[in-house]
This record gives sequence, structure tokens and C-alpha cells, in this order.
Amino acid sequence: MEMDRESGKLEQIVSQFRSKILHVILDSRVPSLHHHHQLQQQESLSHSRVRKTDKWFNLVLGDRPPALENLNFSLRNLLDPMVIDIILVHRGSCSSSVDNLYSPSAPAVGPADETVIERWVVQYDCPRFIATPSGADASVSYKKIYKKSIILLRSLYTQMRLLPAYRIFKQLSSLSQTYNFDLVYKVSSFSHPFSREEESGMKEYSFAPVEALSGYLSVSVTYRATLSDFNLEPLVSLPPKIITDYVGSPTTDPMRSFPSSEKGAHATSFPLRGARPPSSSPFQRPHSWSSGFHRGFPSTKTQSLAGSPPAYRTSPKPYDIASTPTDLYGNRIQNQRVSTLQQVTAYDEYKSSPPFSPSASPSTPSYLSGANPLLTRHCSETAPVTIPLPLTGRSTRYLSPNSSDPSRHSLPPLSPRSSKHDASSQESPSGIRSYRKIEALRAGESPSGLSNNYSAQKVVRDSKDDSGRFSALLSSSGSPHIGFSRSSSRLSFQDDMDDCEFSCAFDVDDVDVSDSSSQNTEGKKASEFTAQSNLVGKKSQDAAVGILVQMLRTAPPLRQDSSCYSTHSLRTEYEGGVSIASGFFMPRKTADALEELNSYREMKDLLLSKSGTRVVRQEEMK
Amino acid sequence: MNCEVCQLKELEVEHFEIREVLRCILHTIVFHRALGLVRPKDVDLELFEITYVQCGDVELEKKIDEKIDHFISWVEKHPNKKSQICLSFYEVKSKQPSWFTNKTERLYWEQWYINLNVTQHPKHHSSKSHHTKLVVDPGESATEERSSRRAMVEASLREVLFQIIKFVNEKKDHVPPISEGVIYFPYEITIPSSSDSAFGMDMIKRMLHSGHPTMLS
Repeated sequence: MEMDRESGKLEQIVSQFRSKILHVILDSRVPSLHHHHQLQQQESLSHSRVRKTDKWFNLVLGDRPPALENLNFSLRNLLDPMVIDIILVHRGSCSSSVDNLYSPSAPAVGPADETVIERWVVQYDCPRFIATPSGADASVSYKKIYKKSIILLRSLYTQMRLLPAYRIFKQLSSLSQTYNFDLVYKVSSFSHPFSREEESGMKEYSFAPVEALSGYLSVSVTYRATLSDFNLEPLVSLPPKIITDYVGSPTTDPMRSFPSSEKGAHATSFPLRGARPPSSSPFQRPHSWSSGFHRGFPSTKTQSLAGSPPAYRTSPKPYDIASTPTDLYGNRIQNQRVSTLQQVTAYDEYKSSPPFSPSASPSTPSYLSGANPLLTRHCSETAPVTIPLPLTGRSTRYLSPNSSDPSRHSLPPLSPRSSKHDASSQESPSGIRSYRKIEALRAGESPSGLSNNYSAQKVVRDSKDDSGRFSALLSSSGSPHIGFSRSSSRLSFQDDMDDCEFSCAFDVDDVDVSDSSSQNTEGKKASEFTAQSNLVGKKSQDAAVGILVQMLRTAPPLRQDSSCYSTHSLRTEYEGGVSIASGFFMPRKTADALEELNSYREMKDLLLSKSGTRVVRQEEMK
Repeated sequence: MNCEVCQLKELEVEHFEIREVLRCILHTIVFHRALGLVRPKDVDLELFEITYVQCGDVELEKKIDEKIDHFISWVEKHPNKKSQICLSFYEVKSKQPSWFTNKTERLYWEQWYINLNVTQHPKHHSSKSHHTKLVVDPGESATEERSSRRAMVEASLREVLFQIIKFVNEKKDHVPPISEGVIYFPYEITIPSSSDSAFGMDMIKRMLHSGHPTMLS
């Protein structure tokens, strides 16, 4: 009985030893598991609790990856060696068989290149039977075995950081770059021998075995001495592209929480996304996100779409996903998961992007795949989708320029009288300006001219500042376009600033109010405003900049002459399908034209009055 | 119990590299001798592409930094000299008081000698030059020389770390049993004192206290 107990102890030590080694190796070589671990660490540090598994060998590593438990079970026979292969997968433009889980929707163009860069072999050799000591001797023996195992694990832990593969692991773990490489692992109880060619470039290192009664525990590694053959270049960052036909639904609840982002938190690498050209239609845009999001959020709902009129949706897909990142971001903020400056930087980059609709995220991937690989790589963690949130509803009308397809000004107006940006507004700032305008309006400032921008800037500046960088940008910028310093849309935006041809940026309030046929009810608008204000208060200083830009672009010259305004206003597009440039000239019934004129006059009045006094909304309702 | 001694490979470092190099080596050794419950902390060196591991104990980190500061002050007073830092692990044993020893005795069971050769390159302005300071003699050759020198130091440091791992793995029997609640074994860092001869005196003192290593078994 005692012998059984004693041998059970040894078995336990050996089993835990193997698990611990596997944990150390996976945590130091597999980026996705490492990120999971990091999140666990952040959470556990606050609780400062030590798990049972951490106490083994006095090395706190955090939660074991679920895969580890499965592996332990499959490698129950302790006498079998445990072979852990660390494989560097080089993806061309496709997913490999190893990585097929990550991008289910990615087209498989060709096989991926897989190279075993490290092979760890953990073995418990028990060549002969030795009578198990009992009593005090046994205790001393087990303590010695345990102590020596601890030392071995310490040196293994240190060694993991000195081998060449660690550098690759660090690069691939970096959240600021996307690569078309990935590190994966394979655990088995046998190993395929290396080819002669492979062996020639490999070195071997064996840790001193730990004597364990009748046998010994040994750990050895065969590793590639040099990994410079693998050109780990970050994926080409594509230039940021303004999405001009960015669409969103006014019914998105920006504060809606999403399902646990646990899965999403372990975003695996999505290098393919980075390789995709950003200039894809909205239907293609979500593709690059979907794999990641759908993976992490199988329950992505479309309820947010429920209230939005079909006309508003150029592509349901982007919007489906849209809501998800919002909450991801929300979760991120709440859980403080993303704490690195890089991540914040990425978010800021995103903020400066023009997609201003509640479903901003769909446009984000294509926009950011160039500007912000971080988001493409770890979309579920870093989808900074707060920008679109405040723009629920009212700003959607402004957001046509966000489409990557300039010819599609499919920004769904909220009402027949809602203004839409025309085709020429392929610049992103329109969406930004609209957001800005909203902020200005909320701040009670006159939306006219650039003065609003500053007030709006102040408004958003007061809001929670996620990044010191952006607040600096805002505070140092005298004009909204500076907020786009990272955006390639700056130039176009500056053009837009000078171009007052888009009007009715201020329609949003009027249209919302006055549009009886709009699918947005008052209540919705109110909630949207609330949501907007909440979001304004919360984040998106960059979004504020964007909105401001948008406002500026679309703002009619109110200080100006009314004739100019009316001209501009007439160029505003209605949902009725009047194209902007031609709307003025399209044959229409007089009644329609008169109605349009009236609506513009009302908007003008509203804006003018808002600069001074509060305008009762009901007045505009007709 | 034997007192195992490990002489680490000599490193030729510049003044501004001392802190990072010493931190790396000392913490790596202590991590292997902190056999209590630790939460390992990875630290990336700034000057070199090396990541080492600390055992995460704040007190320990402070003490090590203090010693490094003392050492740097010493180096400033004795430039261009080879120096040795000794990291010793001991057990405290109570002994019968005699007329020349104290009640408690330190039994050193392991000693690590870190050998540094702090150099001052003539091209640099002074021993306190920051690594970003402009070289007097600008030009590609100076930059190349600097980067190749840096690469050499990095390779040497890496070798030292491998040496530590090897030593730690090969010699385990002399390590005392782990005490409950103790994170790391008692240790002592000895740096050269003001006079050269004093360093030797320290060694003699230690030998008197612990007895000759070969006498202990």
C-alpha cells in the first residue's frame, strides 16, 4: 500500500513536471496562448491568488491553456516521451492545414510552409526497477527529486528566452505588426525524424537529467541555430483608405455589451487580412474581420439591424460585425485588457479614420489594414469602434464618404430630406465632420464655421482620454485636419475644408426631427443622442476630430449669404434618390422642390438659432 | 556540503553597460536559486537583444540595484580595471561561540564570480558618456565598430548566461533543502572595496568564517 502511495507520488511529480514544462514552452512560443496568459496575468495580479497548478514547482505561470489539459489526458502514459514541436508556419496568401481554424473563410490558395524550428523532448526513463524507498527515506528522496525538478524548470524557463526562437515569438506576439508567419505547436508521443538537411542546421541541448528513484527525468531540445532564413517582415501596411460609402444603422445601441470577449481576446494571427487590399467593397471589408470575429463571437446578432431600414444598409455583413467590435472595445476599456501604448495607438489610428457610422467597424478593417495592422491582427481585442457609436442615426447621413467605393454614396439618409454626401465626398472627413458637428451642437455651439470645431474639440477633449497622444493632437491642433495627421485623408480633407459644396451637414437634427417617414422614431433619436453624448464623453477624441472635419466639409456657409446656402442645400441629396450634383437639376415636381427648400430653411434656422438659443425641436417637426 | 564555485567568463564592458549586464547576470543566478514560490518576470535588456528572468521580488531587486550602484561608484574611482563581483549563497548555522568566532556562522555553499573588465574607449569623451552621445570621430567606421563591439558584448553575455544554466543544471546536490516560506536562499554580494588589497581580505575573512571549502563535506 505504502509502495503504491509512494509510486503514486512519483507519478504525480512526473505528470505535473511534464505539464509544467509544456506550459512553460507553450507560453514562450505560441503567441495566441501567450496573449491568453497575459490577460490571465492581468486579472490574477489584482487578485493575487495562486492557483493550485501554479504551486507545482514553485513557478507561477497562470492558468493552464485548455489545450494542455487535453494533451495531458492524451499523453497519459508517463513512460512515453512527450515531443513538442514548435513549428513556424509561413503563410503565402492562404491558410494552412495547421491554421485552418483561424481563417475559416480565407481561401486556400496553396500550401503553407511549415518548418520545425524547435523540438523539445521530455522523457521519463525508467530502465530498471528499483525498490521504492519508504518512510523517511522516501520523503527525503521525493523532496530531492522535487527540488531538482524545480531547478531544472528554472533553467528551462531561462533557456526558453535565450534560444533563437524566442525572438521570433516576440515579433509575432507584437500587437503592432502583422506577419504572414505564425508559430504553432504540435505535441505527440513520437517524433518524425528530421531530414538530413534539417538536421544540419540544428543544434541540440540537453538539460542534466533529474534522478528520480528508478529512473530519470530528462529534457532536451533540438533547435535551429539560426532563423535568419525566415524573413519575418511585417506585412506591407497599406495606405489608409477612406471609405466613402460607409454605412451604419441608426439603431445600434452603442452601449450594448457584447458576449464575453474571452475568445476574442485570444485573437490569433490573421496575417491574411493584412494582405488583403483595402480597396474592397463593403462586402469584402468585413471578410477580413469576420473570420476573427465570427470565431470569437459566434453569437453575433443582427438585432441592431432590426430597426434600420434596408436602404441604410449597403451590406448587412459589415453591420453584423459592427456591433461586435463595439463591445469588444467596450470590454477592453472595462477590463483594461489593452493597456499597451501600441494598442492605444492603434485605436487612435482607428479613431482618426473616417468611418462614422454605428457600424464603423466593417470599414475599419480595410481602412486599418493599411494604417493599422494591429487591428487587423488582433481585431477582436483592438477594434476601436467607438467612433461610429456616437454617430448613430444622425450622423449616418454624413457618412457616405466612408465607402471605399467612391461611386457609392450609399449613406442611408434617415429621412427623405436627409442629406447625403455626394459621390465627390469620397473623402473621409465628411463623416468626421458630421461627428464634429454633432459634438458642436451638443456643446451648444454654433455649427457654423470652424469655430465649432474648437468647441467640439474642447468637448471631446474633456472626455476620457485614452491616449495622451491624441489629446496632444487635439490640443495642439488648431484645425480639425490635424487630428488626421495619421490619416492619408488629410490632404483630401483639407480640400474639403475649403470646399463648401456640401451642405446640410446640420440636417441631422432637422431631418431626424422633421422626417416623419424616417424609420427613426423620436425615442430612438433621443437614445441616440444620449448614446452619442455618452460616447462623446467616453471616447473618440479622434472621432470628434473626424466629426468636426465632417462638419466643416458639409457645413454650409451660414455666416454667408443665403443664396449660397440654398444653392448648396439644393445640392444635398435626399433619400428620395436625388443625386447631389444633379439633384438641383433633375426634373422634379415643384412641390418637392418647395418642400426641400423649406426643409433647408428650417435647418438653417435651426442652426442659426442653436448658436444662440435653444431651438425647440418640435418646431422643426412638420 | 561542498561550496561550489563558478567563475564566469570575463566580460569586457563599457561603463554605461555595467548596470544592465550586472542586473542580467545577478538576477539570472538568483532566479535559479530562488526556489520558493516565484512569479517570474521577464525583463528585456535595452542595450542588447536579450531577455532575462527576475524572480519578481521587489526587495531583492532593490538590494541588487544598490550593490550595482556601489560597484559603479567604485569603478568610477578605479577606471580601466578588471574587477570581480562575488555572489555567494550561504546557510546560517548556529555555532558554539568561541573566542574568535560569532555565535552564528555562515556556511557558504555556492559562490559565483562575475568577472568584468570595464573599458573606456579612447574615442569616447569620458567614462560617463551616455551610449547615445556622439562619438568624437564620426563616420561609418566608428558606428560599425561600435555595433560590432556591441554584438560581441551581447554574444559574450549570452555565453555567460548559458554558462550559468549549465552550471546550475550540472550541480544540484549541494543545494540545501528548500525551507518553507523562504523564496530565495540567503545571499551576499561582494564588490571590490576601496583598496585592492581589501578585496583579498574579504576573501580571507570569508574563509575564516566558513572554513576552507574542502574541509566542508
